[in-house]
Amino acid sequence: MTLLTPSQRETAYRALSLARALDERMWRLARAGRAHFAVPCSGHEAIGVGYALAMRAGVDWLAPHYRDLAALLVLGMTPRDVMLCFFSRPSDPNAHGRQPYAHFGSRALHVLSQQGPQPNHCSHGVGCAWGSKLLRDGSVTVIAFGDGGAQKGEAHESMNVAAVHKLPCVFVVHRNGWTQSVAREDQYATETLVARAEGYGMPGIAVDGTDVDAMYAAASEAIERARRGDGPTLIDAACVRFMPNTSNDDDSRYRDRAELDELRVTRDPLVRARSLVDAGFADRVDAENATAAEEAAEWAEAQPLGDPSTVMDHAYA
Amino acid sequence: MRELTVIEAVREALAEEMARDERVVVLGEDVGKLGGVFRATEGLFDRFGAERVVDMPMAETVIAGVSVGLAMRGMRPVAEIQFADFIHAAMDHLVGEAAKIRWRTGGDWSCPMVLRTAYGGGFRGGPYHSQSVEAFYAHAPGLKVVAPSTPADAKGLLTAAIRDPDPVLVLEHKRTYRAIRGHVPEGDYVVPIGKAAIAREGRDATVLAWGMMLHESLAAAETLASEGVGVEVIDLRTLAPLDRETILASLAKTRRLCVVHEDTITMGLGAELCALAAEAGVLDVPPVRVAMPDVPGIPVDDNLEDAVLPNRATIRDALVRLVAREPSRAVRDAEARAYDPAIPQASSVIEVELPEEHTRLAVDALVEAARAFPRCNATFAWTGIVEHDDVVVDLDLGPPVPPSGRGTITLIDYGPSSSDLAIPFVRPGQTAAVRIGTVRDGRAYVACAVDHRAVDGADVGRFVAAFKTAVERSTPRHPELVEG
Repeated sequence: MTLLTPSQRETAYRALSLARALDERMWRLARAGRAHFAVPCSGHEAIGVGYALAMRAGVDWLAPHYRDLAALLVLGMTPRDVMLCFFSRPSDPNAHGRQPYAHFGSRALHVLSQQGPQPNHCSHGVGCAWGSKLLRDGSVTVIAFGDGGAQKGEAHESMNVAAVHKLPCVFVVHRNGWTQSVAREDQYATETLVARAEGYGMPGIAVDGTDVDAMYAAASEAIERARRGDGPTLIDAACVRFMPNTSNDDDSRYRDRAELDELRVTRDPLVRARSLVDAGFADRVDAENATAAEEAAEWAEAQPLGDPSTVMDHAYA
Repeated sequence: MRELTVIEAVREALAEEMARDERVVVLGEDVGKLGGVFRATEGLFDRFGAERVVDMPMAETVIAGVSVGLAMRGMRPVAEIQFADFIHAAMDHLVGEAAKIRWRTGGDWSCPMVLRTAYGGGFRGGPYHSQSVEAFYAHAPGLKVVAPSTPADAKGLLTAAIRDPDPVLVLEHKRTYRAIRGHVPEGDYVVPIGKAAIAREGRDATVLAWGMMLHESLAAAETLASEGVGVEVIDLRTLAPLDRETILASLAKTRRLCVVHEDTITMGLGAELCALAAEAGVLDVPPVRVAMPDVPGIPVDDNLEDAVLPNRATIRDALVRLVAREPSRAVRDAEARAYDPAIPQASSVIEVELPEEHTRLAVDALVEAARAFPRCNATFAWTGIVEHDDVVVDLDLGPPVPPSGRGTITLIDYGPSSSDLAIPFVRPGQTAAVRIGTVRDGRAYVACAVDHRAVDGADVGRFVAAFKTAVERSTPRHPELVEG
């Protein structure tokens, strides 16, 4: 089992803490009406940090989950980039003001452009991995989606094709147990999704997605298998969605507040990761990140909106 | 000349592009060892191997989705969906993803994929093997849709699609695959996307068609030619984006539109084409659409399928109705403004030295002559003749630049492909019209007609002489004339 080195643990903590700081800042701004849309990632952060650290930067590819902010920060997205995306400015390197927040994508960072309908990027990720096989460049594609998305034919068809052709990719289900307001038991009849791996003829790994060390180990194993040419893996990463689905959701209609408060003590990836680093380091990083998130938000909000004359640009080459 | 069928032309384009560009990969159901259900990919598996010619599971969604991913990664996927009827499972990836990727990323990413599919009825395939789907996809900005009808276009458009930097849906009419044979250029051959072709020239009506309906329309036009009706048939070739220029130029000439398609009529592409013509104001009579009635599917029963699909006989009948249609009241009024046979005309002709490029010169000369003869720049009424203070020359340069009808005098000049001499008509509301014939060896005939109720015959002669003087004062004299 490959565990994080002490310096990787510090890197992991920085990303987890920064993602949380940005998340909280965006939530408050969206609720205050300063921006259109927030998509919280709190509870999911360790999953993305785990695979992003296991990926080869600039070589491997990510078809991200829309709660993959922490992974993107590890791969090199800056707080200002995140806030440009949040404020939907034309200078946003993800979607240039054409898509709302959380539709990530960056050619420079090897992050495939993310769409709205979930999980259409599963097959895009499979195509990307197929490209790696044809180009023989040794790269691996990580494809991340939710347990809601996993119920769609898209996910099934994609995993099937990847397994048939032994494509160099890793499927990671961020299994938080909710599809907006619909609970796990109304979405699928099993406790977890890892057993599906066997049905496709690929190995499956069940992991606690709130434990960044365990997540890194699982992702490392799967990515190396893919890189060896032994095909895809399905990782079932359990986590908790601490916040509503988006800033347009009201989870008080369907979630038990007391249960959530209990989970914040036991399953918060940021709280758990604090035990991996020095307490003074963690406090210092948290303070720096709070300031960075605030500065990035103020700066991005001041950036100009789009010029209406550009709306047809890039419809075609 | 070498002749191929449409399916052979498709196969040739695929093989040549795969040989030319290693990034081209072919994927779909049965495209490998079987060579495709219609044999479009026959021979490719043996020649290029299983890595580049890939049999896919029977799952249209992932065929399209994987193509999107391959294209984003820089490959050139050419996917096949066996029948257009099955394409709807792939629609989310075509319309929701491929069409938007370049735009939604501000040009950072692109999706150069091709999806080929066989559409069209007429072979007893029933509701799930006969549909036309172009209207769904031509409605998606960001996606290009081509529909070749001839073997040459099947090769040239597919080649263009594979080389295009954006996603292209190639709709191949399955009845053309083996029924249509024709010359196909060997080697590198590209038909540009977005360009229609005039399949047959005519002056009485324009038919817009594609696929098998192009061939049915040509047959109908042939029949009508023997009855003295000239039908122009335009092969659209690209359904999105439309070649507005070619369509409108034809309609400016014929003024009558018939759209023929196999798709059902309501919200079919014919609706957009009729709207395009209506908004451009190029029709003299209401257009006609020959299309399938709004049946939920194409029936397999011989009698029923034949009853709902357009064919050369129903197209011919529609064209006969179209050509016989009386212009609407608005058109008749417009024609009345352009021509009044009750105006008694006097005319005069003079030969003038004139350069090839002379429009500006002629307008200036006409203004000068009209100021000297204000009766030629007037409006006649029995109650009195109103001479206008300003000279407003209304230029009539033929179909691309018709007269506005708002001037005080008209100058007609149809350029180098026109005749030497013709007497123009005076437009109601004006008293004179001047026509310049084709310039030959630096000379042209200038004919002037006037409303004889306002202008004496002798004054017409003086008026054109004034025009000649004004023009020639500015025209460098012909060298041999100076010597002579």
